[in-house]
Amino acid sequence: MGIVIAVISGKGGVGKTTATANVGLGIALNGKKCIVVDFDIGQRNLDMILGLENRVVYDLVQVMDGDAKIKQALIKSKVSENLHFLAASQTKDKSVLTSEKVKALIDELKEEYEYVLLDAPAGIESGFEHTIEFADTAIVVVNPEVSSIRDADRAIGILDAKSQKVKDGEEVDKFLVVNRINAEMVQSGEMLRSDDILDILNIKLLGKVPEDKGVIDASNQGKPVVLDSKSMAGQAYTRISGRICGQDIGMKDIESGDSGVFKKLAGMFR
Amino acid sequence: MKNRQYSLKVFETKVDDEAKFIDFFDTNYMLFKDHLILIRGEMSDKIETYLDNKPLKFLHNKSLPIGRSRKALEEEFKMGMTPNNNVEECSSLKEKFKLLEEELKALEIENGVNQQIAQSEILKVKSEIEELSNKLDNNFTVLDTIIRSGRELNIDGDLLLLNRVNSGATINTTGNLIITQVVEGALRCDGNFMMITVSPKANIIFNGVEVDNSLLENKLNRIELKNREIFITPVIKKEINWAS
Repeated sequence: MGIVIAVISGKGGVGKTTATANVGLGIALNGKKCIVVDFDIGQRNLDMILGLENRVVYDLVQVMDGDAKIKQALIKSKVSENLHFLAASQTKDKSVLTSEKVKALIDELKEEYEYVLLDAPAGIESGFEHTIEFADTAIVVVNPEVSSIRDADRAIGILDAKSQKVKDGEEVDKFLVVNRINAEMVQSGEMLRSDDILDILNIKLLGKVPEDKGVIDASNQGKPVVLDSKSMAGQAYTRISGRICGQDIGMKDIESGDSGVFKKLAGMFR
Repeated sequence: MKNRQYSLKVFETKVDDEAKFIDFFDTNYMLFKDHLILIRGEMSDKIETYLDNKPLKFLHNKSLPIGRSRKALEEEFKMGMTPNNNVEECSSLKEKFKLLEEELKALEIENGVNQQIAQSEILKVKSEIEELSNKLDNNFTVLDTIIRSGRELNIDGDLLLLNRVNSGATINTTGNLIITQVVEGALRCDGNFMMITVSPKANIIFNGVEVDNSLLENKLNRIELKNREIFITPVIKKEINWAS
């Protein structure tokens, strides 16, 4: 029986879809069977970031409505055979989702895969509620800025109120990924430190991802940045995926900014 | 009124054989010298004088309140406090409170005209109001959950909150309010006092008056209403970090 992870953020544009793609691929590279499902009905993006847009034939809504079988709609990743992908519908609206349909789909996916990653839509409307309804855990993606944190806080509040697991008297584990950390700005006090964010949101830390120009290029090319072992963000996603797969990986301090080559050189002459 | 509350140990026993009883307390005196001895059944004068001389404090055939388990207490509490009952009582008290306040106002106006007659009446009504407001504020809630953005808490009575209030959350209380962690959301408190930590981002309205955040400069501040004036006093002073 697999584990269902919803990737949520509340605010749009903080890197939710990028995180889903990278974490999903990272898990698959760890040798675990993983499926990423795009729940952003009407605004499909995950297929592009995974580089699979031209392979989409059937989508999530068609599977839920019974127009297509799951096996037909699944798309295998070009990079890892452990990673499968289920696209969202670009033409339909998120109002087509119902709890029964979502539950049936997730139950079926849980049988087959060790990790089921759900990419939630931005906002907190019905589409979001259906994504979190049957999730076992949630990854909360935030940027180190106040608006993103407040929206994430709201999203967590809704998760704690509306998820099926909470209704059954259990607790949904929530893990924080702080995305786009700029060490210099944190040092100069212009950017929130991840410790402060953890204080506000009161959930566990899963990982910190530094700001990295390579991420945009990687997304545009459809090759998630986790494949690039030289990229800082890629390394961060590798660590995060490892932690999800149960490896004991220490938290790397990417906020002090002392890891730069020039800083190291300067230290030698001090 | 000064009160003290403490627990004490009680040794409950029965006198079957007087010689054995005396022998037992002779040998175990050190064990029982701080106990209260409760004797059930018959007791002769001989035993009574013996205990008095020892000396041991004792009671004869008295029923003592025996502590109950926490669960039993909670159940009793639930039984007595059906929510409906409580709300009704509270609202009727509030009505009475309003009436009394109106009466007080009328009396104060009258006071301007005829001072001597109204003075004693005013005092009487004032004491009644005070008693009632204490009763109203007895409805007490303790919470230890983080109040996240978008959540609105409406509390009838007092609230003690042991966790954060995040930006975008709202708390309304009719009674007193104590929050031990940082507040970034909005607070509306209509009680007699509230206690708040340094909270530069909070929006605080106390009895309809907006409280300036810059006045909350100490680690824990008490905001209270006295004679229609708002006072802010430090409860825990600001910490000075000498090292830095």
